[in-house]
Amino acid sequence: MKPGRFRRSGRFVVGFAVLALAATGCAVDSTPVNLAAASVNPPLPAGIVQGAGALAGSSSTAPQNCGDPTASLSPLTPMPSPGAMPADSSMAAIQKRGYLIAGVDQGTYLMGYLNPKTNNLEGFDIDMVHDLAQAIFGDPSKVQFRAITSGQRIPALTNGAGAPQVDVVVRTMTISCAREQQVAFSSVYYDAQQRVLVPKNSTAQSISDLGGQKVCATTGSDSIAHIAAVSTHPIPVAAQNWPDCLVMLEQGQVAAVSTDDTILAGMAAQDPNTKVIGPGFFDEPYGIAMRKNESDFVRFVNGVLQQVRTSSWTTSYQRWLGPYIQGGNPNPPQPKYSS
Amino acid sequence: MVTEAAPAPTGGQRGGLLVAVPGTVIPRLRSASSTTPGRLTVSMVGLILLSVLTGIVGLVTIQDKANTLDDLVNHREPVNAAAQQIYRSLSDADATAASAFLAGAIEPAADRTRYQTDIQQAGAALAIAATDSFGVDEAAKPLSDLAISLPVYTGLIERASANNELGYPVGAAFLGEADNLMRTTLLPAAQQLYTIDTQRLAAEQDQATALPWLTLILIILLAAALVLTQRYLSRRTNRTVNLGLALASIAVIVAVVWGGVGLVLESVYVNHGQSSGSNQVDQLSQARIAALQARTDEVLTLVARGSVDYTKQFDTLANQIGGKDGSGGLLGQVLANSSSSAMSSQVQSAVTAAKKWFTLHDQVDTANTGGDYQTAVNVALGNDRTHDEATAFDQVDTALGNAIQAGRSDFLRQTDTAGNWLTALPIGVLVLFLVAAFGSTFGIWQRLREYR
Repeated sequence: MKPGRFRRSGRFVVGFAVLALAATGCAVDSTPVNLAAASVNPPLPAGIVQGAGALAGSSSTAPQNCGDPTASLSPLTPMPSPGAMPADSSMAAIQKRGYLIAGVDQGTYLMGYLNPKTNNLEGFDIDMVHDLAQAIFGDPSKVQFRAITSGQRIPALTNGAGAPQVDVVVRTMTISCAREQQVAFSSVYYDAQQRVLVPKNSTAQSISDLGGQKVCATTGSDSIAHIAAVSTHPIPVAAQNWPDCLVMLEQGQVAAVSTDDTILAGMAAQDPNTKVIGPGFFDEPYGIAMRKNESDFVRFVNGVLQQVRTSSWTTSYQRWLGPYIQGGNPNPPQPKYSS
Repeated sequence: MVTEAAPAPTGGQRGGLLVAVPGTVIPRLRSASSTTPGRLTVSMVGLILLSVLTGIVGLVTIQDKANTLDDLVNHREPVNAAAQQIYRSLSDADATAASAFLAGAIEPAADRTRYQTDIQQAGAALAIAATDSFGVDEAAKPLSDLAISLPVYTGLIERASANNELGYPVGAAFLGEADNLMRTTLLPAAQQLYTIDTQRLAAEQDQATALPWLTLILIILLAAALVLTQRYLSRRTNRTVNLGLALASIAVIVAVVWGGVGLVLESVYVNHGQSSGSNQVDQLSQARIAALQARTDEVLTLVARGSVDYTKQFDTLANQIGGKDGSGGLLGQVLANSSSSAMSSQVQSAVTAAKKWFTLHDQVDTANTGGDYQTAVNVALGNDRTHDEATAFDQVDTALGNAIQAGRSDFLRQTDTAGNWLTALPIGVLVLFLVAAFGSTFGIWQRLREYR
């Protein structure tokens, strides 16, 4: 076709098209119906906060001078034998009652959780409680467990409102100067470290390798403040509860979860496609909390822990935490005593 | 089309009625109406046209009302019930999933069946609601939210229960995420859809009881024209009664009485169907859904094992349903307005069961905050036969379901009765006005013949 003819016939076609359009009343308006789904947001656990707001209410452990908070009272010597607590002691009152009342967690896998298959509380913390009951009564089952939230840990010992009253709190509780103002701690029974949980195919070796990536921890926790303080700037994402972090990790919404290795071990145990990595980058020494005015009980518990360190501690550690924490310390922490 | 009624023909220059006609006809009509036969002819034509027009408008208006009533019964109410079904089934699915979870690693078969039935019902009702949404733009968003999120929700529930079966606490977190999707997306969408459908139902009820203005105006005009024409004729001819026009007048009177009585009674029954039927059903549905959400709140508080506390939400919902003794709130309102004993007795048993439920809830709450988790779970799930909260809640739900059913029946019965009052009325009105047209023609034609 010659260019000239094309132009003429082109003009004709255009003119015809205009006429046709005018005749049909602008039929060009019809377009195929858009079938793309309107913005679909992937589901998230309730109350997730990302970015700047994630740090709200978190308390990076404020340096408070109380010396070494992990130094506790020295153990009772000699230790009374089970079922024969010294008269007028705090332990005698418990023995008289017939059972120990312990405030524990029931939702943290491997540490303290209610096993739906057996309806029993199980975990490393729960083992410690049974050891205490064994030492008082000669029977590890003489315990009444009270499931308490992390916010109830101190009120449960200080007659606070809205919390059941207990003899001891064994609930992944980090010893700190601030807490020692209100409750008394035993010697350290487990040296938790803040570490990182990542999918098995992640190449990250430590928290520093996660700069610019989303890392989950719970709202208001120390852990989230520690994440934000890392020099390579991971992006903190705040969830309401620890399992929410695992949910987001499984859904690919965060690159990692970072908190105490005890909690991370529980997550790794629930999801075989994850691993706990890195050196610990923050110390979280766990202690058993008791009332401040019951120093005889604190000394007794330290005596029990002394025995536990040389007997059942390793068994408990290997049963619950050992398989899931690479490079963890399989030995009980050495106690420190102030007096 | 009638645009004006001419002034009274008594001794005036322009007699009879004027029918608006194209400009060229008016001068001719004017000259024709200057003589008596001319005036009579114009009146006759005017009366014929007005009668036929009134008959047709009456037919269309009343038939439209009858159709609206038909639509209310056969279409609007079922669709509204479907929207309510989506809302209820989803709430029930959420509550059931949570309590199945609480029961332990082995999901109770009854809970599983109930959950699956809920999801199936929600899906089926969603299909019904979707077919009806064409041309209702505001319904498109909630429908698409529901259709998009329902499969995501069920996926999360399956993931939660898979983890729970293995004894992993992360299952509770997946359940929490599913519940979050339910609360933030699915339930608001279901509620929106339900509100839209309830409004559409109320709008049709208004339409069915609206005053038929146009017909009314036409009838008044026709009646006036008949009266004036008869007065004119009786003065001109000294005959008191013109048979044809008398027949026409009687036909109009019969039409007015029949139509008036029919339409008034129709309105009465439609309004009754609204006050004792659809309005009550609306409040009962809200109470039932609030109950389901409260149940979900309390069970999830236990599932979360201290990490999340929905106790405040429960208390708010409990107040909304009936207050602490169960007889205030929505249930109290329904009882106060209820005129049907079938419904009242059901609501009364819902109130009794709600009172028991709330008392047992307090026990669950006390046990749970006191750290006695197992007792809390036993009461909540009804493992303890003497303190069986699950059954108390189910009684509330069942009684409310029955009361809703009673309200729906009441609505349908009243609306059907309303429709019965319109039986044969549309065609009857048309026939009567055609009789009026014939009578006018006959009556005036006789007089006109005298001028030949």
